[in-house]
Amino acid sequence: MSIKLKLIALSLFTVLVVIISPWLDFSAASSPEIQQMIIYELRIPRVLFAFTAGCGLALCGMVFQAMFRNPLATPFTLGVASGASLGAAISVYTGISFTILGLSATSLSAFAGALIAISFVYSISRFRFGFSGETLLLTGVAISFFFSSLILFIQYLSNVADSFQIIRWLMGSLTVVGYQELKQLLPFVTLTAVVIIFLSRELNLLMAGDEIATSRGVSVKYVRYALFFVTSLCVGAIVALCGPIGFVGMMVPHICRLIIGEDHRYLIPATLLFGGSFLVICDTLARLVIAPAELPVGVITTLLGGPFFLWLLMRYKSQH
Amino acid sequence: MLINAQDISVKTSDKRLIESISCNVKQGDYLCIVGPNGSGKSTFLKTLIAILPIHSGKLMIDGQPISQYRHKKLARLISYVPQSGGNHLTFTVDDYVRMARYSHHHVFSEWQAHDNEVVENALNITDCQPFRYRKMSTLSGGECQRVMIAAALAQDTPVLILDEPTAFLDPHHQVAVHQLIRKLNQQHNKTIIEVTHDINHAAQHSKHVLALLDGKCLWHGPAEQFLNAERLQQLYQQAFVFAKHPHHDRLIAVADES
Repeated sequence: MSIKLKLIALSLFTVLVVIISPWLDFSAASSPEIQQMIIYELRIPRVLFAFTAGCGLALCGMVFQAMFRNPLATPFTLGVASGASLGAAISVYTGISFTILGLSATSLSAFAGALIAISFVYSISRFRFGFSGETLLLTGVAISFFFSSLILFIQYLSNVADSFQIIRWLMGSLTVVGYQELKQLLPFVTLTAVVIIFLSRELNLLMAGDEIATSRGVSVKYVRYALFFVTSLCVGAIVALCGPIGFVGMMVPHICRLIIGEDHRYLIPATLLFGGSFLVICDTLARLVIAPAELPVGVITTLLGGPFFLWLLMRYKSQH
Repeated sequence: MLINAQDISVKTSDKRLIESISCNVKQGDYLCIVGPNGSGKSTFLKTLIAILPIHSGKLMIDGQPISQYRHKKLARLISYVPQSGGNHLTFTVDDYVRMARYSHHHVFSEWQAHDNEVVENALNITDCQPFRYRKMSTLSGGECQRVMIAAALAQDTPVLILDEPTAFLDPHHQVAVHQLIRKLNQQHNKTIIEVTHDINHAAQHSKHVLALLDGKCLWHGPAEQFLNAERLQQLYQQAFVFAKHPHHDRLIAVADES
């Protein structure tokens, strides 16, 4: 099957998923008016929100995998999401609230946390050991642990209500009411997607290695800065709104690479479509598995992602 | 003067990689850089494509200091064939070679008929047509090396620099690559800078030789004067014996293992 045909099939699949999932329901039927309200005020905004978050998470994962040339490198495995979580947790704990250009304090501090984490990973891997697979991932693990323990520390200091809120939020959840969250998230994911689409040729050349990319005329340093900046922004926004939903950024782009190939001109749309629909499916599952109660969607993605990570690790090891 | 290096030095935080090397390369020249492992050959190449910054000295490319070039502009003048690499990629050969047209395009520019021409030509010259739709990861070492050269040709630059292009090839493919480089130099008037360990190839086929030792220039001169017992002894810490080539009267050097 040609790549374009695969993309069309993926688009149809995505449309189907987005249309069907709001209507899936195992609970006892209530009056039609209430049903309608649930669909239009809760389910549809939630599906759209999940779709947008999934697009963003998958896209950021794809960029990290390409930049570090390692399928295990994603904003989550490298500790960037932990950085963002810490930033958000600090803002919840201190209770500071303000907005700059429509950005909430939580979003801004999550963004700052993500940027700090990413510059840690980047400088350590670049200046001390180079981009070797193991050291990069170990750096990420160390950074994750460090930020996680700081989050625990903040949780310990907070009162019971705040503490519970932080725990629930750390599990990753997409429970929204109305379109408010979607409106906050959409600009970030759109901006990130636009920047990454403009840099698709550079991403392709980066896959061949920094030296080749430089010799072909890519300003590797500035491309990296731009990509780090927009992915931090995107991860920060998503983490601030729905908590760290793990492994989407690892599974989706990797599966897309296997199906579509490495050419980012096709990989980017595929990752957007599949990332969005994947998170919608996971969220629908989270809503239905123990209905009428709900699981946090992060539990589902992590349950799927853990074994996937191990599988990837084995494959990666046997290839190198 | 296409490339003009005066007293250039490169160092990392704790080590001098190359020290006050001077060297001129004219349009249409064929320069071979020789020297033992770790003598700074690859480092020198990497300064020419601005992968490594020079610490002191002056490096002019086409009359302009290299620091004033944007990477994209430099990539329209000089293309680079690395020692190895590319065989981890799942791009097809065709895609990989097309990607090398990057420096001739901007975000919104369309793929032109001229681009197709250059790519076809690059694939033809390097004899990559038979496997142009295969994935890079499925190629043999020789095929991969030819694709790397094809990509550099698709970049369509007056200067081509190669880092040990025949290092991993069998004798047949070594000859094929050497012939290809000579053809590019003589028929297509490309300026060639090549790092090599094959001193006979350097002496017979190039126009100038630059011999590096411990990051410094040991000798720089016309290729036909390069082969010399004392110089080779000093360069490689190895005795050589010499014989006349049966087909012409230039010398060939063989490491003396006795």
